[in-house]
Amino acid sequence: MSHSSSRTRRNGAGDLDRREFLAASAAAGGAFVLGFWLPSKSAQAAIVAGAPWYEETGTPEVNAWIVIEPDDTVTVRIAQTELGQGVWTSNAMMVCEELQCDWNKVRPQYASANRDARESAPEWTLNVMGEGAYDPAGGGEPLFRDREPVRGIPDSLYRRMRTNEASSVRDGRYYLQLAGAEARERLLLAAAAEWDVPATELSAKDSVISHRGSDRTTTYGAVAHLAAETPHPDPDAIRIKPPGEWTLMGREQKNLDVPAKVTGAAVYGIDVRMPGMKWAAVRACPVYGGDVESFDFDAIRDRPGVRSAHHLPIPDPSLLRGREFSGAVAVVADTWYQAKTALDDLPIAWDIPGDRAALNTAGMHGTLLSALSQPGRVRVDEGDVDSAIAGANRVVEATYSTPYLPRARMEPGNATVLVTDERVDIWIGDQSPQETRRSASRITGLAEQDVFIHLCHLGGGFGRNGNGPQAEQALMIANANRGTPIHLLWTREEDFIGTTYRAMGVARLRAGLDAEGWPVGLEVRTAMQEDGFGPTSSFDVASRYFTPNYRFSNHTADFHIPCGTRRGVGQAAHEFYRESFMNELAHAAGKDPYLYRRELIARTDLPHRDDMIKALDLVAEMADWGSPLPQGTARAIALEEKGAEARGTATISAMIHTVSISREGVLRLERVDVALDQGFSLINPLSVKKQIEGQIVWFYNDAMHQANTVLGGRIVENNFHRFSVSRLAEDPPEINIQFFETEHWMRGMGHDRATSVQSGIGDAIFQITGKRLRDLPFSQNDLSWG
Amino acid sequence: MAFDLEVNGTSFSVDADPQTPLLWVIRDQVGLTGTKFSCGIAQCGACTVHVDGQPIRSCSFPASAAVGRSITTIEGLSADGSHPVQLAWKEFDVPQCGYCQSGMIMSAMALLDKNPDPTDADIDAGITNICRCSTYHRVRKAVHRAAELLKGQGA
Ligand code: FES
Ligand code: FES
Repeated sequence: MSHSSSRTRRNGAGDLDRREFLAASAAAGGAFVLGFWLPSKSAQAAIVAGAPWYEETGTPEVNAWIVIEPDDTVTVRIAQTELGQGVWTSNAMMVCEELQCDWNKVRPQYASANRDARESAPEWTLNVMGEGAYDPAGGGEPLFRDREPVRGIPDSLYRRMRTNEASSVRDGRYYLQLAGAEARERLLLAAAAEWDVPATELSAKDSVISHRGSDRTTTYGAVAHLAAETPHPDPDAIRIKPPGEWTLMGREQKNLDVPAKVTGAAVYGIDVRMPGMKWAAVRACPVYGGDVESFDFDAIRDRPGVRSAHHLPIPDPSLLRGREFSGAVAVVADTWYQAKTALDDLPIAWDIPGDRAALNTAGMHGTLLSALSQPGRVRVDEGDVDSAIAGANRVVEATYSTPYLPRARMEPGNATVLVTDERVDIWIGDQSPQETRRSASRITGLAEQDVFIHLCHLGGGFGRNGNGPQAEQALMIANANRGTPIHLLWTREEDFIGTTYRAMGVARLRAGLDAEGWPVGLEVRTAMQEDGFGPTSSFDVASRYFTPNYRFSNHTADFHIPCGTRRGVGQAAHEFYRESFMNELAHAAGKDPYLYRRELIARTDLPHRDDMIKALDLVAEMADWGSPLPQGTARAIALEEKGAEARGTATISAMIHTVSISREGVLRLERVDVALDQGFSLINPLSVKKQIEGQIVWFYNDAMHQANTVLGGRIVENNFHRFSVSRLAEDPPEINIQFFETEHWMRGMGHDRATSVQSGIGDAIFQITGKRLRDLPFSQNDLSWG
Repeated sequence: MAFDLEVNGTSFSVDADPQTPLLWVIRDQVGLTGTKFSCGIAQCGACTVHVDGQPIRSCSFPASAAVGRSITTIEGLSADGSHPVQLAWKEFDVPQCGYCQSGMIMSAMALLDKNPDPTDADIDAGITNICRCSTYHRVRKAVHRAAELLKGQGA
């Protein structure tokens, strides 16, 4: 914060009055003990109606997930973030399935990341029985049995508050069901004590407790305060319901966040307003790793509303999973528009590392391609690939490219932060509040126990770490302006700088085919930036399609673009390579791409082999595979899977894409048929359908339109005039989705389905126009034919 | 500069540079935050409001140009979600993250004002808002449903 303004005009009126702060805290009564803080009355009037964040009402909670008011309203605390995937509803369903409360009186609310820093998880949540993936009542892997943090998952109150890896159901279901069951048992115990009858004579439904043998009834609301003081004598004995006993889960439930999202009442981070709040606009060095050399605050200091300007150093990469963003300048003003327009006119000199400024896409792509001819790091080597291919009847080789891609969520990055000498308050939509809590502590020097994160809805996620340094930047500014709430908001252009990208990648696949067209050897080489989750995850062709000899090697490049988990992660690119190549092989072999895949799966001994065949067969039937199509229309099939190579959770799907291309070259995705493994059961099938519909268009955009290029070390496409996003006119007119049951729990649904739109469109282009395109996006090519 | 704006039938006195985009005056001075900012360059439609019944992208529309005209935001459709377009949206559970939906609904409303019985092609051509969650499939269905509900209301 070396360049803080010499002329900050803080006159008191803008600053939150500390006495008001303390008075409000005290007024919250017992809640203050937990460190809860109420915004002042005016702030509440402006923002609290419908605020989704943690709040104490004074009613004692039954457990950390559940508060029941005397009128039977049930507040369910949600430890993941709603970003469109339906977790606000599905997490509540998991709790309420067991609680057996009246679903119409359920109100979700975000869990407190502050309590998570202060309290440990209850012992009973550690108790995961059963056999994981294959036990109908099991919770997947028993990640939490020990108090040892597993995969970065702590043993704090809410365990994982992250929203990532499609894992909210996979990792959370068991203990969320337990949370509901534990509360239900205690409500029954409380009623039993009241009536002096054995709890075994009581039953509960829709928040009403009834006594068998008498006509006595009571409600959850009436006994909740007693239940709060009634510990369960043996929580380890509580069992959760398997899918066969579910009455709420597994059935389509309308999403509980939807009503507020059609009236404009839903509260996102950008909507937070505080008394005395100032706005910050930010401009970061457009070349990652660059910083601010100087800026001339005098040029803008007299503009209306302008308060101060700050140099924000490059955020500590250790707070951002190792990613290096840029140094930046922030201008603070009374309104955001004042701050933004002043910043537009602020002279800034950048300090840009020369080697980075020399980078552009063509050169970087060339580096990756030439890496493919070097021996890379061998990940899998089975049999003798080289001799198998050398002795093959024919050899097929193809090289594919996938560009840098951002998440480009609709809500630009923002955070509102108030730092005082006692505590930090952050209002933010955040996919990893536990990490933000740590950032707040590191930047302000206050303890994590004194960090309060008020979670808001998030206007799109699409990848946890892509959030970038918005919280860190806001924390730096607010720390320099202690006592004043600072609302940082990025422009769209800034959001393209503050995000991580999926790594640009290339892959070369080479197969030797026997006289009948079956692969005798397959070699796969990929090259990507190491940090992109690209080279190592989700790619092992041999473990899906049978080939007796197989080698997979990967090559990494060290570029300066921060790469991270974008929707679909590495799988999105890898399935494009794999499924495109399978189509090429089937065509080369003169075989039907559906039956070719089916046979090559059938020849494996993979644990999920039969489910993959089921998916292929079902989707072929759904789409009437093989039936005639008009000229200029083609179908392509693909298999998508996660986890099919090992015993355990998996998600399997097969899709058929029907594509038309006019002679002039206008392509339309006409129809998508989807067969999706639902494991023992889905939680909310409605949310799953919505996710699939959205992902189809997401990967349609990847296939047809989207790429970020680098010029002079900068990302070129930084707003929607250059970075194109499809509109309604490109949405497929027909989407058919069918689920099929399997004997394992699903791996997750959040992000990696419908990657096959990419290979499907690619193959349809080939079938219709004869052009085999291997570099995404396809719309950079002339698709006319005939 | 101080001027008056009529938003959802109520007059507000605001003080802003007249070139300030209407979006920021609505969000920060009038205090209605249902209208969203996303691109700032009239590309995405998240900021769509009606001025004298016409949909405009308020991020690129100077506030002063709305003086003396009647502005409608998402909050002006109905506070309780009972407007037919909102009912249709709920019936199809359209929103995902929801961030684009105020603008999407205002665009749908404008389309239905002009064309009470739109075909799929009319909807595809008439609504050009971006939804990054790609709720388009349900938007199309919900617009048809809203058209039905609006007709029923008129009858
Ligand atoms: S914010 Fe106005 S059109 Fe995108
Ligand atoms: S619902 Fe998320 S952008 Fe449209």
